[in-house]
Amino acid sequence: MLTALATLLSHYRRHPGQLAMLLLGLWVASALWSGVQAINTSARDSYARAEALFTTGLDRLERQDGEALTREDFVRLRRAGLPVSPLLEGELEASDGTSLRVIGIDPLTLPGDSAFATAGSRGELTAFFTPPWQTRLAPDTLTTLGVDVSNAEQAKGAEPALADGQRLPPLVIAPALPPDTLVMDIAVAARLLDRGTTLSRLVTAPDALAVAPEGMVLTRVDTRISPGQLTESFHLNLTAMALLALVVGLFIVQAALGLALEQRLGMLRTLRALGVPGRRLVALLAFELILLGLLGALAGIVSGVWLARALLPDVAATLGSLYGTGVGAELSLPWHYWLGGIAVTLGGLLLAGAGVLWRAARLSVLGLGHAQAWRAGYHRQLRRMALAGVPVALGGLALWAWLSRQPAGEGLVAGFMILAALLLTGALWLPPILATLLAGLARLTRGRPLVQWALADLQLQLPRLSLAMMALLIALAANLGVSSMVGGFRLTFLDWLDQRLVADLYLHPPAAQFDEIDAWLASQTGVAERLATRHAEAVLSEVDYREAPGERPPAALDLPVSVYGITPGETLTPRWPLLSTLAGREAAWQAFRDGEAFVNEQLAIDQGLSPGDRLVLTTPTGETSLDVVAVYPDYGNPRGEVLLSTSQLAQRFQAPPGSLGLVLAPGADEAALAEALTTRFGLGRDALQDQREIKRISTTIFERTFSITRALSALTLVVAGLALLTSLLAQARERRRRLAPLWALGVPRTRLITVQLAQLSGVSLLTALLAVPLGITVTAGLVAVINVAAFGWRLPLHLFPGEILLTVATAVVVALLAAALPSLSLWRTPPRALLAEEQAA
Amino acid sequence: MTQLSSNCRLSGLPRALLLILLLLSLQGVARCEPHTVSEEEGLQSFAGLGADAGGFVQARPGTTLRFPEDHGPHPDYRLEWWYLTANLEDAAGEPLGVQWTLFRQAQQPPAERPEAPGPWAADQLWMAHMAVSKGDAHRMAERFARVGSRQSDPERDQAGVTADPFRAWLDDWSMVSHVSEPGRDALDRLTLSARAGPDDARFGYRLTLEAQGPLVHHGENGFSQKSADGQGSIYISQPFYRVSGEVTLHGEPHQVTGRAWLDREWSSQLLGSDQAGWDWFSLHLADGHRLMAFRLKGGGTDGGDYLSGTWITPEGETTSLDDSALDLTPLTTSAVAGREVPTRWRLQAPDQGLDLTVAAPHANRWMPTTVSYWEGEVNVFDHASGEPRGRGYLEMTGY
Repeated sequence: MLTALATLLSHYRRHPGQLAMLLLGLWVASALWSGVQAINTSARDSYARAEALFTTGLDRLERQDGEALTREDFVRLRRAGLPVSPLLEGELEASDGTSLRVIGIDPLTLPGDSAFATAGSRGELTAFFTPPWQTRLAPDTLTTLGVDVSNAEQAKGAEPALADGQRLPPLVIAPALPPDTLVMDIAVAARLLDRGTTLSRLVTAPDALAVAPEGMVLTRVDTRISPGQLTESFHLNLTAMALLALVVGLFIVQAALGLALEQRLGMLRTLRALGVPGRRLVALLAFELILLGLLGALAGIVSGVWLARALLPDVAATLGSLYGTGVGAELSLPWHYWLGGIAVTLGGLLLAGAGVLWRAARLSVLGLGHAQAWRAGYHRQLRRMALAGVPVALGGLALWAWLSRQPAGEGLVAGFMILAALLLTGALWLPPILATLLAGLARLTRGRPLVQWALADLQLQLPRLSLAMMALLIALAANLGVSSMVGGFRLTFLDWLDQRLVADLYLHPPAAQFDEIDAWLASQTGVAERLATRHAEAVLSEVDYREAPGERPPAALDLPVSVYGITPGETLTPRWPLLSTLAGREAAWQAFRDGEAFVNEQLAIDQGLSPGDRLVLTTPTGETSLDVVAVYPDYGNPRGEVLLSTSQLAQRFQAPPGSLGLVLAPGADEAALAEALTTRFGLGRDALQDQREIKRISTTIFERTFSITRALSALTLVVAGLALLTSLLAQARERRRRLAPLWALGVPRTRLITVQLAQLSGVSLLTALLAVPLGITVTAGLVAVINVAAFGWRLPLHLFPGEILLTVATAVVVALLAAALPSLSLWRTPPRALLAEEQAA
Repeated sequence: MTQLSSNCRLSGLPRALLLILLLLSLQGVARCEPHTVSEEEGLQSFAGLGADAGGFVQARPGTTLRFPEDHGPHPDYRLEWWYLTANLEDAAGEPLGVQWTLFRQAQQPPAERPEAPGPWAADQLWMAHMAVSKGDAHRMAERFARVGSRQSDPERDQAGVTADPFRAWLDDWSMVSHVSEPGRDALDRLTLSARAGPDDARFGYRLTLEAQGPLVHHGENGFSQKSADGQGSIYISQPFYRVSGEVTLHGEPHQVTGRAWLDREWSSQLLGSDQAGWDWFSLHLADGHRLMAFRLKGGGTDGGDYLSGTWITPEGETTSLDDSALDLTPLTTSAVAGREVPTRWRLQAPDQGLDLTVAAPHANRWMPTTVSYWEGEVNVFDHASGEPRGRGYLEMTGY
């Protein structure tokens, strides 16, 4: 038994390249898969922590005039019997410059269901709220504070210094907290943040207060929006990419295994002839497979973790800036992650190796493997593949038909399944299509013997190449799809930014000074227009649909929406994009000025709204009924939003003043105005923002998001290239034998190599050309199905011919590179050796 | 841009957890390292009443009491309470019970309190309990507040007590004096109000209390010894209130009248370290006498229980009862909140010719508060004849 195993494995001593290829395939596939899984696991853990943070589940009270609440307000309300609790929130700078979020709480009045528990408290209450107090923080925040993490005992109770020299209260580890968040008693928080008696806000248990106390604004916790939906789609995207990489990687493995078996057929027969039972032989091969699988999977997981470490800060930054979710940049992996990684890789490997084992099991002791015999079988296989593609395609179509009748904004998983069906159909139909095309070409090229031979030979190679070509097709289509989506998104987003950010300066004046500053600005000649905004929260309580009144009765709802106020002046209106209007842009803006509303695309899709419908919004102060006159795009906003003119919003919702956009007159001195504002009104540096700066920040956030998608998609293409190379190496020697007679007939070696390169680049070109329509369909699916389901808004479909050409060219180059190695060895082989090989065969 | 939301509201944990937290914290500054408290440990020094007095002012015999100052808080003692119970009847003659308690607990000894504590300083933890009971119904609520004892104006705190004019409050729960005549004690006329719960399940009260007799000093001029080795507290009572007002239960108001008893007590180490709880009686007898009696588990002369009491005439004259003059015997227990609690007692004071049965008509008066205990109305009968002799309240801890 051992001898038999040693004999089997000895093959790899003679062909270390094959072993390397096998392991490479396994390694790359499992590295990509486990890397992405590592990111997902880590990020999910972070959301769970962020969602569990107590401050997120509470209603909040602030003063209507925007001034800070104080301890006196807190005591006054408590003594009036209102169950409010003070909360202080602020930023502190760690000694390494990282900004830390500080939350100061009063554990004695914090509502309910003791939120204090989420701060990870199981220690003493007294120690929390009496000197020297405590700093509760997650373990991954320790490094930010410069605390030695290796010694947990030492970390506990440390009092690290901040950038400004102040020391934090003794540390207490609370793993449930989000990263870079410090929770402490309000007494010490007020001291560290130097806030005196002021508060950030008062909080109360959800719905504990029916109305806001006089002079205050009550913001109810929004239970509808959960970062879950949004981030789920991001992760689904990542997972789909990783799965793709795994599949492509397994194509490599399949090819390498096939080769290893093919070359050992003789050895296997000898072993059988020597009396090793067929069953044992299969068991030994399976054992070999598992051994290789374990090696590959372990290596893959280790590099996967490394990959995740490299990508995670980007992912964390992206999610953090997009969704306001803090994601730990430290990787923390549960044990099942490791087991899962190995299981997936081994499962995939056995799937890929099953065919090989099947063939080995049916190996006849005396039979000889014939390329021609293979080909006969391959015809049957092609028919089967073509047939198998039909139900997959039909399934995809059925799913699409089902999805189109679903309410908008749902069916994210179904959307991805449609894409999977699309890619699978493409892959299954590729070999039959290639075979048909080649046969057709062969008929066209009668009379050109070498070309005809090349085509016929390519037909013969197809069984081996088809897997690699399928991998290439999938990788190319996905690559095209993703790059068009990213490109399209980028274009749309930048346009939208330009349309939205029309003012040159954005000012956030303190509420108390608003009127004074506004009046002063009105008197400045350099300021051409002031665009005031306001913001309020309301509940969409009823929708009265205009169309088909009989069929669609008014719907009673309870949906929190933001209400946003803009100034429809001459600067804004021409540039503000509208998707649909009731009676044209002009009429829509006129109605808007008269007090009617616009809704964003998210709300329109979510509630099936169209211009002409009537909304009833409920606020603590009463009800307001509004006509929808237009729908506008609102990229990147996860929430439903209703747009009103600022003056209407102020009137109807008593919304506090918000920011002020300043459009400057031509030639006005921006710097002087900013300077005058800061000195005259004592505004902080945060109060004034430059439009260019906002654009820069937005663009950076955006670029980060997609750098990860791009990186993964490029990696997939690399894996596809490797698959192709492996397939070619697998048949290199056999091909050489086939070329020898041609050389003997007088075809020069250079010509032979050219023919070989042309064959391969030709078939890659065909595959790439087939990938183009597939890729465009994938893009359409991404923007019209996936995006709507994930974000609630549709992206316009943008195609980039340059990118498409580049992808096709990449495919050909990858094929040529893959073909270069076998060609080089052919170039090096003396023709005599070729003949000798031919004779030996 | 987005607000995080919490789909997963944490529930269930709170009370149990806070209980452990508070039990731990009440054990005071002597313990520094976090640890989990065992049931036994929690009982051993119930609510920290047996903790060492280190750094705090000790209650001693011979302390001279001054009023109205001593109606106010004593922040340099570790513990203090204003504790009111009332036996009431509604218009239909149905009995009701009411409890209102304000506890003060110093978190740091005076010497350790910072000079410039900042506005949120919290060297005092205040805790208030309220309960309304009628028949099988028993509703209760609990609230907390932090207060810095060096704050210049206590009126601007969430909780506190001022001596002159007398006012005790936590949030909107309050006990306020309405005495204007000079020479009368501030506690002679009070209004008491508290409420809790959502609209349809609201419970609470607004009561007027008129004292029909003088303040009573227990023990040795107000020093009430609590164990044989000399631990004790300053303990005074106003047991002579007549009550009228309104009690709300299940959102429905009831006009009530009846009697009430106010206890004032402060100490830094109430119990000996080996004492684990008590049974405490405050009884209004039909003949106008009042009786206070308690049994502390452990701390007696031979390691037995420590008994003490005060016999109060209708005029307010007192006789202290020690364990030779007083006997308390549990007769039957009831299962309450997973515990066996004695709800029927025999109380004997031979010198006063008393042989009484004290029985709780409803056993479910457990207070599942941070520090949990049994507090409920009791009826008093003659032990031999079974004739009604009065009403009162019973408090039992350490079960």
